Amino acid sequence: MKIRTLRLLAKEGTANVYKNKLMSFASLITIMTTLFVLGLVLLVIVNVISNLEAKKQDLQVKFYLRVDASRMEQEEVAMFIENGRASGVVSEYQYESREQAYENAKKDLKHESLMEGLTPDNFAEGYFVSLTDPNDSDQFIAKLKLLSGIDSQWITYPKDELDKITGVVRVFNYAAIFVLAVLMIISVLLISNTIRLTVFARRKEIEIMKYVGANDWFIRFPFIIEGMIIGLLGALLSHLLTSQTYGWIKDGLNNLFSSIKISDLQLIEFDQFAIRILVVYIIFGTTIGIIGSLMSVKKHLNV
Amino acid sequence: MIRFVDTTKVYSNGVVGIKNLTLRIEKGEFVFVIGASGSGKSTFLKLIMHEETPSEGEVYVNGYSVHNMPKSEVPYLRRSLGVVFQDFRLLPNKTAYDNVAFAMQIVEALPREIRRQVPLALGLVGLSKKARAYPEQMSGGEQQRIVLARALVNNPAVLIADEPTGNLDPKTSLEIMELLDEINQRGTTVIVATHEKSIVDAMKKRVITLDRGELVSDVQKGLYTDEN
Repeated sequence: MKIRTLRLLAKEGTANVYKNKLMSFASLITIMTTLFVLGLVLLVIVNVISNLEAKKQDLQVKFYLRVDASRMEQEEVAMFIENGRASGVVSEYQYESREQAYENAKKDLKHESLMEGLTPDNFAEGYFVSLTDPNDSDQFIAKLKLLSGIDSQWITYPKDELDKITGVVRVFNYAAIFVLAVLMIISVLLISNTIRLTVFARRKEIEIMKYVGANDWFIRFPFIIEGMIIGLLGALLSHLLTSQTYGWIKDGLNNLFSSIKISDLQLIEFDQFAIRILVVYIIFGTTIGIIGSLMSVKKHLNV
Repeated sequence: MIRFVDTTKVYSNGVVGIKNLTLRIEKGEFVFVIGASGSGKSTFLKLIMHEETPSEGEVYVNGYSVHNMPKSEVPYLRRSLGVVFQDFRLLPNKTAYDNVAFAMQIVEALPREIRRQVPLALGLVGLSKKARAYPEQMSGGEQQRIVLARALVNNPAVLIADEPTGNLDPKTSLEIMELLDEINQRGTTVIVATHEKSIVDAMKKRVITLDRGELVSDVQKGLYTDEN
């Protein structure tokens, strides 16, 4: 097909959006609401994942130096951790000196008698390290073991908990893909139903075009453009609706969480995901529009 | 030009449309196909334009083997035909001009070609003034003339008309027939299915009579009543 013809047909499709106002509106609402539902479901999943990821950050590698570690060895460990922070492997850490360890122990142990005869020198220096990427923990621990100042049996990391969280995050990731797929299918069915009505109303037109000798693409193309435009408009409107609704829900829930003291649960900002959601919406909206158009025109082309 | 060879069309519900029909229509002929309702007139035309395919036998149109034609070729067959229907079939949301231009856009004619040919076609059917009118703003006769202009604009080898005057008053009918005759004079083969006696008798052209799908008579310069 020539460019000239494509341009002509694109113009035709654009004009049809306006000429068939009612059907365009119905399709637009359908796309908008399905994308809206899709977006909210995705945002719930993203929130669950992001809160779980935040939980992962709370998991710390804890280790203690040998009580008899030399000054050189102490400095070597301090240097290693500082380097880790500089290179971004370590996100933050707390250092516990012998004195602090002694004080903490005194606080924890209610019976003074148990502390009798102990001085800070009997305690080891400790580090509590948060990793930027909890998945690096194995590697990080392996390196710690190479440092002679560290008592390798006192390196601990809640690996079980990490694995559990990682497992749950994976489940939610699959859930996201599943939800996307299901909603995609539902949307296509919904929209093709709406477009089918449009096409049914215009089947006579299609028939005439066929009798005059138009080939299938000549007939399909304007419908594709029409579906694309409606899909795009639906995506944009839905994005607006989603951002407003989400902002409202987020404020409400964050207030609720802080009022019932679960302040470590935090809903993410919409702005963080605004672009990604818009891209998903546009891809979905236009694809749904195009597939819907193709499906509903198909039946009437066999004249 | 058009050839039916022992063609039979039986519809899926068992109704016989055409039965063992063999005939030829040469280039430049003007042919009436007559018969009562259900005689097979419409089936005859539908077979020519590949709206239906024969159950048995062969159909050749403008060099195409219509009986075993791949689907992708159908548009090309139809572009070599001009088609006129009883119920006009104009695109409702296009003006008269755009309806005629549409037939040329399909064959991807050059815009300047379209700008030249469409007014000519509208002029030929005497409706240059109605170029900007929409179908619903025109009378039946006017609409049918626009359909004729659309059928002609690509200079088809064959013009097919299925009851073209069925929805028109006698005077307008005659005008349409005169137009068809004029088109025929320019070399286009014209095939008209009709059951209007007065028109057939007035025109004195070749008359093919069908009855229950079978060829009853085929006479040059015939009358509607020739079969008896």
